[in-house]
Amino acid sequence: MKLLDLMRQYYSVSIIGMCKNAGKTTVLNRIITEMAEEGICFAITSIGRDGEGSDVVTGTHKPGIYVPAGTLVATAFDMLKYCDVTKEILDATGISTPVGEVIIFRALSDGSVQIAGPSLVAQLEVVRERFREFGAEKVMIDGALSRKSLCTVNLSDATVLCSGASYNKDMDIVAEDTGYISVLLTLPVIGGGGLDEIISQYDARACIAVYDDMSHKQCEPKKLDVVIKNAGGKIRYIYFGGAVSDVIIKPLVMSGASFDGITFLASDSSKYLLSRHLFDKIRAKGGRFAVMSGVNPVAVTINPFSAYGFHFDKDAFLEKVRKEVTVLPVFNAEDMK
Amino acid sequence: MKLSFEKKCEIGFQYVLDLLEPCSCYGAEYIRTLVPYTSAQRSELMCELDNIQKIISVYEAEKAVFTKLEYALMHLKDIRPMLNKCRSTSLNEVELFEIKRFLLTFKDIYPAFCHISEAASTVGLELVELYAALDIVDPDKTGVPSFYISETCSLRLREIRKEKKNVELLIRSKSGNMDDLMIERTKIAAREEEEELAVKARMSEGLRTYLDDMLADVATIRRIDVIIAKAKLAMDRNCCCPVIVTDSFVLEDMVNPKIGDGLAEKGKSFTPVSISVQRGATVITGANMGGKSVALKTTALNILLALCGIFPFAKKAEIVMLDDIYIISEDLESIDRGLSSFGGEILEFNTVVKKLDSCSMVVLDEFARGTNPDEGAAIVKAATKWLQGRESYTILSTHYDGVAEHAGAHYQVIGLKNIDFASLKSELACVEAEKSADRIAEHMDYGLYKVLEKQDCPRDALNICRLLDLEPEIVELAEKNIDNLI
Repeated sequence: MKLLDLMRQYYSVSIIGMCKNAGKTTVLNRIITEMAEEGICFAITSIGRDGEGSDVVTGTHKPGIYVPAGTLVATAFDMLKYCDVTKEILDATGISTPVGEVIIFRALSDGSVQIAGPSLVAQLEVVRERFREFGAEKVMIDGALSRKSLCTVNLSDATVLCSGASYNKDMDIVAEDTGYISVLLTLPVIGGGGLDEIISQYDARACIAVYDDMSHKQCEPKKLDVVIKNAGGKIRYIYFGGAVSDVIIKPLVMSGASFDGITFLASDSSKYLLSRHLFDKIRAKGGRFAVMSGVNPVAVTINPFSAYGFHFDKDAFLEKVRKEVTVLPVFNAEDMK
Repeated sequence: MKLSFEKKCEIGFQYVLDLLEPCSCYGAEYIRTLVPYTSAQRSELMCELDNIQKIISVYEAEKAVFTKLEYALMHLKDIRPMLNKCRSTSLNEVELFEIKRFLLTFKDIYPAFCHISEAASTVGLELVELYAALDIVDPDKTGVPSFYISETCSLRLREIRKEKKNVELLIRSKSGNMDDLMIERTKIAAREEEEELAVKARMSEGLRTYLDDMLADVATIRRIDVIIAKAKLAMDRNCCCPVIVTDSFVLEDMVNPKIGDGLAEKGKSFTPVSISVQRGATVITGANMGGKSVALKTTALNILLALCGIFPFAKKAEIVMLDDIYIISEDLESIDRGLSSFGGEILEFNTVVKKLDSCSMVVLDEFARGTNPDEGAAIVKAATKWLQGRESYTILSTHYDGVAEHAGAHYQVIGLKNIDFASLKSELACVEAEKSADRIAEHMDYGLYKVLEKQDCPRDALNICRLLDLEPEIVELAEKNIDNLI
């Protein structure tokens, strides 16, 4: 089984992790090897910094990103000295990062590279287009730490979610949370139907109630229970411009209101910072969750080794995660070779 | 010459700078830091104006070459920091990449500009050819805008890379102990880096010979870019090439683009202003709201533009070299400093008075209007008389009577002078009362005419009162009052 098979039709693929040491680099190297075998010309960058020789946070050994000759790389200037491939500089993008200007080069030999791409999504978009001009057939985006990197998925056509033992000592918790994140990433996408126009009329962080007749009004997130009760079942959507957190949802659940026919909407999955039990309770009371723009997760990978000195039984772990993640294929990245 | 940013905006100078569209970062920087030529730089200014005129004369015929040149200019990045760094130390691969990219772009600029320069016979704009410098950073003569350290530069590098490649092939085929192979590879990569450093040092050393030529070319490109931008603006807006003279300013049919463009948006047009300014004092009079300030700002703007080597927005312009232009108007800064607007004006005027010489111009907009009319008139008359006796140039606008007789020349805003009051009155009869003021404004002629004999400010105020149907008894009383005054 090749990971590449799951992402053949997509131009850009992002790899995001639930935590540090989730095995993102292993997965990236896996896909790189598969692409190299098929002679695909690909490009690689990241949002922010990643790919250090050893992990700057935990000090554990991290696999470097080893690329074949011909790979296009976008990384910050200060990282160039850690890239031991023979380089052909193609572009100095003018995009600055804390570690220097983002430089695009082509590897003229095999070798390891350190990636620190643009910090902003808009800049990443520029780099992605430059890659296309330089002839890349596929772009891999290494997402940095979990929440922030979720934003990059909006820029990529497909996403791989990496989970691992470093997330929590308790295997059940890792499996459950991975399952939950995969549910959030695969929430249905609601677009069109005039919703975009309605949302654009309000402040970016506004909370908006949309009724069955598509009339709408802004509401105070903490008083949503009152709004729902007064509407008498006529609310179709509740859109959150900002994050959907426990503070907002808990009073709703406690109010005893019924959420039949109501869809809770956020701009994308990264806005759902809600605890699993509250998420489940809303669904149990008839509510649904959706996003305005979706992510396209194609696989979940696991790393049974933790950066904190313990590891899970890989088979038991894989089985547990597979049980929780019902919507996506799950692999142990190390075992795929 | 120091004019504050606010003053530049006020007269519409900044607006004109924003209309200039240079193609390169160098040109944009030049315009940001543009300063007028001084009286000592007369020949430089004439050369600049001459070059602009020459570029204009060939622009249409050579349009294709200009387009190519402008396109190349757009792709330039500022390499001056790298060139300066190169003097003392060696450049890294990204810097060498930037220099190669510059030199490749220069390869397009050079022939295009030589062609234009020959066709237009421009003066003092010579580029030094840099093909030898390009060969240093592009030893393989690839001609593509990417940079790598070529093996052509070092046999040793070729050997090391071959060695590295062999290990990489072993790693790819997984033949051998992977950890050992990786360590082996890292060691070779370190040697490669070392040799690359040596090559980079040699390249930087080689470039050092051409640094002065490259910097000189950058400076010329900076000027060429701006000259083309100035020429295009002049063609676009029908500006004229000013003639540099020694005695008096002659400006015919001037326009202020900032005000003109604003009026054009409302479907109105700017009335061109003509004026000559001799040494001594020139007075502009006119009724309130009659366009005195506009005439003043337009004159100051076009003189300043000419002195900056930008064609004035006029049909004809004869310009005297100046070292300073002082614009004194009721400004807001003095209020910020806690002075009354009058106090601020006087303080500013006094510092200017001490500095006046034959190469300075003072522009006074409704001087001393902030104080009581009797004393104000007395002060303006005295100032005019004093300034008339100087070698410097003064233009002042005022609505006080009796000032003009102390000045060397007197201009008046035409205003409602040539209007047939009977027909305007009947026209106004068909308009709603609130709109009549606007309608009168439309009939105002904001142009200037030269007053040859003694004449006081126009009595348009009373005319306007009549047009607007002010109670006849009041108008009559006012007329009597004025007769008593005279």
